[in-house]
Amino acid sequence: MLTSITEILNLLKKYGKVEKIHKDTYVVEISPGKVRELCEILHWKLNGHFSVTVGSDERPVNGYFGVYHVFLLDKQKLSVIVHVKVNPVTLKIPSITPIIPGANWHEREAHDFFGIFFEEHPNLERLILPYDWPEGIHPLRKDVNVRELRYKLLKKETGLVVEKKAEEEYIVPIGPYHPALHEPEYFELYVEGEKIVDARYKGFHVHRGIEKVAEERLTINQVPFIAERICGICGYTHNVAYCQAVENAARIDVPLRAKYIRSILLEIERVHSHLLWFGVLFHLLGFDTGFMMTWLVREKIMDLAEILTGNRKNYGMNLVGGVRRDINEEKIKLSLETLDYVEYKLRKILDKMLKLKEITSRTKEIGLLSREEARKLSVVGPVARASGISTDVRRYHPYAAYSELEFKVPVYDAGDVYSRALVRYDEIFESISMLKQLLKNIPKGDLTAENVKVPEYRKGLGLTEAPRGENVHLVITGRENKVYRWRPRAPSYNNVPSTLVMLKGEKLADAPAIIASIDPCFSCTDHVVVIDVRTNVKQVLRLKEIARGK
Amino acid sequence: MKTPRIDIFKEALKTGVVTKKYPFEPVEAPEGFRGKPSIDFEKCIGCEACVNICPPNALSVEIDTKRGIKRVMLFLGRCIFCGRCQDVCPTEAIKLSREFELSSLNSKDLYQIVELKMAKCKICGRYYATVRQILFTAKNVPKDQRPLLLLCDECRSKVSAKHISYARW
Ligand code: SF4
Ligand code: SF4
Repeated sequence: MLTSITEILNLLKKYGKVEKIHKDTYVVEISPGKVRELCEILHWKLNGHFSVTVGSDERPVNGYFGVYHVFLLDKQKLSVIVHVKVNPVTLKIPSITPIIPGANWHEREAHDFFGIFFEEHPNLERLILPYDWPEGIHPLRKDVNVRELRYKLLKKETGLVVEKKAEEEYIVPIGPYHPALHEPEYFELYVEGEKIVDARYKGFHVHRGIEKVAEERLTINQVPFIAERICGICGYTHNVAYCQAVENAARIDVPLRAKYIRSILLEIERVHSHLLWFGVLFHLLGFDTGFMMTWLVREKIMDLAEILTGNRKNYGMNLVGGVRRDINEEKIKLSLETLDYVEYKLRKILDKMLKLKEITSRTKEIGLLSREEARKLSVVGPVARASGISTDVRRYHPYAAYSELEFKVPVYDAGDVYSRALVRYDEIFESISMLKQLLKNIPKGDLTAENVKVPEYRKGLGLTEAPRGENVHLVITGRENKVYRWRPRAPSYNNVPSTLVMLKGEKLADAPAIIASIDPCFSCTDHVVVIDVRTNVKQVLRLKEIARGK
Repeated sequence: MKTPRIDIFKEALKTGVVTKKYPFEPVEAPEGFRGKPSIDFEKCIGCEACVNICPPNALSVEIDTKRGIKRVMLFLGRCIFCGRCQDVCPTEAIKLSREFELSSLNSKDLYQIVELKMAKCKICGRYYATVRQILFTAKNVPKDQRPLLLLCDECRSKVSAKHISYARW
């Protein structure tokens, strides 16, 4: 078993050219023939985990398409990016989904957006592009221009993709609007009586095309604001991840005070997000008192965020190189008081709520995800931690001010909905403790780095632990103060496929709580809409999907 | 066995009603809140710094080359209240306020338009910058170079190129 960093680097060197792009992050450029072998070693033998696949059109720079498989080796605190150059004519490379099922969506996305074929992929169908999207147009390619594309699509030069036939069982459609989460998604549950025998998911209804917008139109310092709007709950974590990716690429040193402020806001965001989740869970289980009471406490955190940043949700605090606003003594005092109150209240109510029989009987041993399945799908965050996997970007790939803090990473083994609740419960109090450490020890200093210059065509990886898990942004910097390629991968992207495993064999009535237990955030997963979908396009999709349920 | 239900119920009773009767009762945003931006028409010099930095293009500019008028336009319908415009404005003309109630029956209420007079280039006669912008820049330019401010970019670079070549001669 290889363990040390040098051993791993030597191994990588056997496969291809290794380049250190920034601290603890290496790119290894290998030939397509070896990609499977190396990915298998990284994910399974070295016990790392597959994080994201990024496609990229680099024809204007080096004549090739690029595919980057990102792996995080928690134990060694390393990030390894496997880079494969894809021949722009054949466009073929071997798929890694047969060995790492979690790569399924990632490869399909690269297929949709760049037209790269992943050989031996079990199901290389469309994932994101709508059914009536014209064949052969891959929107993230550099030669596709949004304006022209819009014109083309409005003229309806489209050909419908034929749908697969529905199965024999009776189908219960849930969505496109989930009764609890108010976000567009579509689950198909195949049931026999009360029992769910199979489940399917169709998402990406709210793709917003923000990668394209960022690459085509925005400047480096405008992207943080759109990044923040990837998620309606935990946007700041995307904002930080993007800024970190660019800072890493450009080797910008962010002042320590700014790092502290980032960590403070990230933890505030985690507390409010977890409390929101508890509210949703309680509401789904019919326990509205719990919902109201947790959200009442959450409101204090929202007010605090508003006072610190100027907004409840869109903090708008980051620019590449640092933060925009300071936190003064008065605000620190107020924050500490608020945290004391929140901690006191939550200990009083949440403890008791989690002991209620109404809650335990509907969450314990329900929605199971084994450690094995979790590894296969490469799930992240509280979902992974509830299935016995100790993973946390804050601990294993520290960013912002986390290397200065003391905290525990809660891990539970049962892999059920209740464990996911317990992980989040523990994390709320860990976050509060972290916040206190941060607020008490915040050092004096500047808010932004002095020299913010971003050289062109550099790669940077930005990692954060979002409330829902590991959040990854890969940035390739471009010319004229722009990003050449930006791929944000939200945690739900890796977690949503696991709901299909959790649902199988469960009762229909438990489905909402199971789906909610991963704290899904569909808009983040749909981090892009490729184009403003016109009404008729939507109708096609809905009618067909709903017709299946007849 | 003691059930936690009673305690939860007690806690809920103790909390009472917390919902505010908004909009029948006012709610105030705290200090430092990033709300509706507004442009001080007296202070704006039409430099376009805010237009260039605004991420969602809520700010835009229009130049009427015939009449010599520059319009800086803010459309609140696109604004994301990031406050970048306030960061870069050289004259503190645009600032975010604590106001957040923007709904209106008339979409015109969502626009703020500043119209500024432009000056003609002394050589080519083209409108090139607002009068206020020239006056503002003049403050930071040594006296002997101020006449150059009366020329458009192109003519100015031609003239200064000449100066340089004379100097080399
Ligand atoms: S606040 Fe932001 S979005 Fe609004 S006008 Fe200013 S720069 Fe533009
Ligand atoms: S508001 Fe300020 S930044 Fe914008 S054009 Fe006027 S002076 Fe320039």
